[in-house]
Amino acid sequence: MVNSGLDIELSFNQAMKGFGISPEIAHLLWLPLPMLLVLIAAVIGVLVTVWLERKVSAAAQQRIGPEYAGALGILQPMADGLKLLVKEDIIPARADSLLFTLGPILVLVPVILSWLIVPFGQNLLISNVGIGIFLWIALSSIQPIGLLMSGYASNNKYSLLGGLRAAAQSISYEIPLALSVLAIVLMTNSLSTVDIVQQQNGLGVISWNIWRQPVGFLIFWICALAECERLPFDLPEAEEELVAGYQTEYAGMKFALFYLGSYINLVLSALLVSVLYLGGWGFPIPVEWLASWLHQPIHSPIIEILTGSIGIIMTILKAYLLVFFAILLRWTTPRVRIDQLLDLGWKFLLPISLVNLLVTASLKLAFPLAFGG
Amino acid sequence: MHIAQYTELICFIILGAVIIIGSLGVVLLNNIVYSAFLLGGVFMSIAGLYLLLNASFVAAAQVLVYVGAVNVLIIFAIMLVNKREELSPIKGLKLRRFISGGVCACLLGLLIRVNLTTKWNMPGPASIGEGSTVRIGEHLFTDYLLPFELASVLLLMAMIGAIVLARRDVLNTDEETQEKINQEIIEEKKQPLLIDQSS
Amino acid sequence: MKKNDNWINVNIRISEIQFDLMMGFFQKIIDYTKDAINAASYLTQGLAVTFDHMRRRPVTVQYPYEKLIPSERYRGRIHYEFDKCIACEVCVRVCPINLPVVDWVMNKETKKKELRNYSIDFGACIFCGNCVEYCPTNCLSMTEEYELAAFDRHSLNYDNVALGRLPTSVTTDPSVQPLRELAYLPKGKMDPHEVSPDDLRVGKLPAEVMDWMKTDALNNQSQQVNSNEVKDTHLD
Repeated sequence: MVNSGLDIELSFNQAMKGFGISPEIAHLLWLPLPMLLVLIAAVIGVLVTVWLERKVSAAAQQRIGPEYAGALGILQPMADGLKLLVKEDIIPARADSLLFTLGPILVLVPVILSWLIVPFGQNLLISNVGIGIFLWIALSSIQPIGLLMSGYASNNKYSLLGGLRAAAQSISYEIPLALSVLAIVLMTNSLSTVDIVQQQNGLGVISWNIWRQPVGFLIFWICALAECERLPFDLPEAEEELVAGYQTEYAGMKFALFYLGSYINLVLSALLVSVLYLGGWGFPIPVEWLASWLHQPIHSPIIEILTGSIGIIMTILKAYLLVFFAILLRWTTPRVRIDQLLDLGWKFLLPISLVNLLVTASLKLAFPLAFGG
Repeated sequence: MHIAQYTELICFIILGAVIIIGSLGVVLLNNIVYSAFLLGGVFMSIAGLYLLLNASFVAAAQVLVYVGAVNVLIIFAIMLVNKREELSPIKGLKLRRFISGGVCACLLGLLIRVNLTTKWNMPGPASIGEGSTVRIGEHLFTDYLLPFELASVLLLMAMIGAIVLARRDVLNTDEETQEKINQEIIEEKKQPLLIDQSS
Repeated sequence: MKKNDNWINVNIRISEIQFDLMMGFFQKIIDYTKDAINAASYLTQGLAVTFDHMRRRPVTVQYPYEKLIPSERYRGRIHYEFDKCIACEVCVRVCPINLPVVDWVMNKETKKKELRNYSIDFGACIFCGNCVEYCPTNCLSMTEEYELAAFDRHSLNYDNVALGRLPTSVTTDPSVQPLRELAYLPKGKMDPHEVSPDDLRVGKLPAEVMDWMKTDALNNQSQQVNSNEVKDTHLD
């Protein structure tokens, strides 16, 4: 099944051809659509996450949480966003206004760009670039520059400390993260996210990578939390010591960009965990089996639409399960100190991820059938 | 020309302009922080050029290594020691600048000359696109194994050097007073913060 | 022969040291792994506790719609009855900051104080209740009113008219669902939502406590009388 599944671009181009538009123009018309879709999807994902965060936090503390803005307070994040949108944009008098403005943008843009590689189905992703997951690792390494920039430009000691902490944390946790991704790539023989998911979907839930890479899964999740600056690793913005870290001087829409960036990053990390370890769009039971039970050929339109929607739902479901877990973790664990953070990163996760890589490589040589030949 | 070629040309012009202006800014700007951030911009634009050349793996590696590691460390170092003090004036600064400018101009002339006289094999071999990742891996572990390993040894040496410089307490004698340092204090076993009550 | 023996001993000694070193290294690794596993298990326990909270009911009071019934001795806004007041100014003397303002003039003809105004600034009052405690005519009392927010702090300076108003009771307000505090719930109940108004709270009611105190005092008295009698006989 190399090219099965929905291919919306192809159908779009054919429809355009039907209207008598040349393929090149059709391609130009097609280009902005996925980008727009990604922006909308990311923002909606953030809104849902913010709502979930508030509700789950409330439940963990035996509160009710937002209740009156829409049913179950579902419009509360919209209200928050609207408030930030119309708030006064303040640039401190002694701040470096250019870098101050550029910082949040540099934080947000790479995160949104990384959505390019998140697959929701066989052809349901923006671009199946060959370097796939490596692109995400590369893009996420830009973020610390934005954080340092905003920390420096705010001309505030708390901001600078927060920015420095964020950069240190980001650099330290990128290495075990990349190493655990590398173990996956080693088993898949490909960097492409689509290949990684496909390779996991032979036997449904049994063939997911989490069974072959349990240690890698844990390392990846810990590092992803650290990269997102979620509790217990939120010390760049530790409110008890640093007011709000690099966000201290920000207000209005620029603050909203940080806020948006951190939540998009969280959703993205959860999506990537589900792609790398939990079989991405894969249903726990392979769809081909379902199709054979229903006595439908795999390429019939009904089955294709069904697999497409199941794929989207499964990816989102897995990702939000992980987001829920992250929120649960937030209310369970206390914040680590900076030395504990660096100890964990360099002295624990790095050696373990190296050993994990070594073990994966040797297992691959020993059992090429189970660990990707 | 196709639309794709036009976009490519426009992208190339923009990226080239950003690289040239950015690198001039890195050298000429007085504020060292701006220089560092501009350096990041230049690295990014170079990654963009790689992308234009269909070398996406190299572009990503460029971003990861140069922007994500090198540039962040440079900015990090600048911010840790950022004192905002006036540098002491150097004697004959104008003459020095003139000479270095002259050297740079000569280098530029040389490069332009090389560029014009060399017979470029246009349009060059067809790009292999996505296959480049595999090709790079193969080359790194066959033809270029020695330089690759040498580079890693170099990095290891740099790392050990950094550790030695950063951890003065590893040395036996104090650098300034030449007194013996009591190693036992350093090697003393760390006391756990929480006493284990189970035992 | 002896020399050879020595050599063997040295060899054995060296191999023992090597063995010890090896074992020490392995012990370190084992301890480290144990530590890591312990940390993971503690983390899991913590997560289980947090997760368990998901199914518990909210304990919060949905304030403007639900309100807690203040306790009997709640020290809220002070109520004042103008007609009972004799302008003795005891309240001013016992107040930590001499807060009540008693505005009176001496009527020369009747030779009595004539009260004109009385005010307490609740922006400064700490609700200690000393004035209520010491008022000789009981014209001061504490209410259950605690919603004293104002846009202007001067509007918290209540005059005798404002002080004379009775607060709206939480239990009679139709727009509010009154909830009992934790100490006023029946035995074994934790959620005020499930309790009907007829259920008695745990422990004795104030009236019962009063009765008990009275009988107790009586018993004590009789005992004291008895012991005094015994003393008297001794003296004789």
